[in-house]
Amino acid sequence: MASISARRLRKELNEINVEGCPAGIKLLSADNFDTWLFSIEVLGESLYQGEVFKLMFRFDANYPISAPAVQFVVDETRGAPIHPHIYSNGHICASILGTEWSPVLSVSAVCVTLQSMLASCKVKERPVDNDRYVRTAPDNPKKTRFQYDGDTV
Amino acid sequence: MKVHVKHWSAVAQWRWNTGNNNDAAADDEGDVCGICRIPYEGCCPACKMPGDDCPLIWGQCSHVFHMHCLLKWLGTPASKQQCPMDRRPWVTAERKVNNNVGNAAC
Repeated sequence: MASISARRLRKELNEINVEGCPAGIKLLSADNFDTWLFSIEVLGESLYQGEVFKLMFRFDANYPISAPAVQFVVDETRGAPIHPHIYSNGHICASILGTEWSPVLSVSAVCVTLQSMLASCKVKERPVDNDRYVRTAPDNPKKTRFQYDGDTV
Repeated sequence: MKVHVKHWSAVAQWRWNTGNNNDAAADDEGDVCGICRIPYEGCCPACKMPGDDCPLIWGQCSHVFHMHCLLKWLGTPASKQQCPMDRRPWVTAERKVNNNVGNAAC
């Protein structure tokens, strides 16, 4: 494992272990520096009351210079949140995961951003092109060139 | 009483002059590079020796990073040549060496 991502992730993990995750977010597993899993829920009033989602981070050796690949996990027990910017395969259309990524961001900063993206949702619906996208989507959402709507979510 | 000094060790500590002289504001670790999260006085993850071989770089926007960390970021198309902190176009600042001079406005 290349040292750049491992050293930075070790620091982030240490911080999570010492200070804990932001409210509503729990670390499920971080056994290596390739893939981390979190549970995420929106606390307080929202359209997602009582729903708990699973979030997966995948890092390459160049993290944090290169953005992590972040998506919701869809399995037998859980689906992706129904949201205008979240596809049913768990892929997320959020500019900070793509063109607006910055190496000063962190795993917990991304978690908090996604949490507030859910919290501010007004209508529970899938993106308009969900079916078309999911049919042809690559395994890694970083390979997708998302068009950001530019509305505030 | 006569004292003979048989042995003594000199200890010195150095710090980059980041213009942030407020020691109270800096925590125990000192300030860290926002990209690698390693203290300025340490070196970037690619280097072994801190110091002149792994210097800091200042932007006109006032943000500071390990030079190697920032150049790695600016070397990617994703950076769009922007400062990671404020997304303004990165412009390297001239080092101000004499920023500890008292201001005399007569």
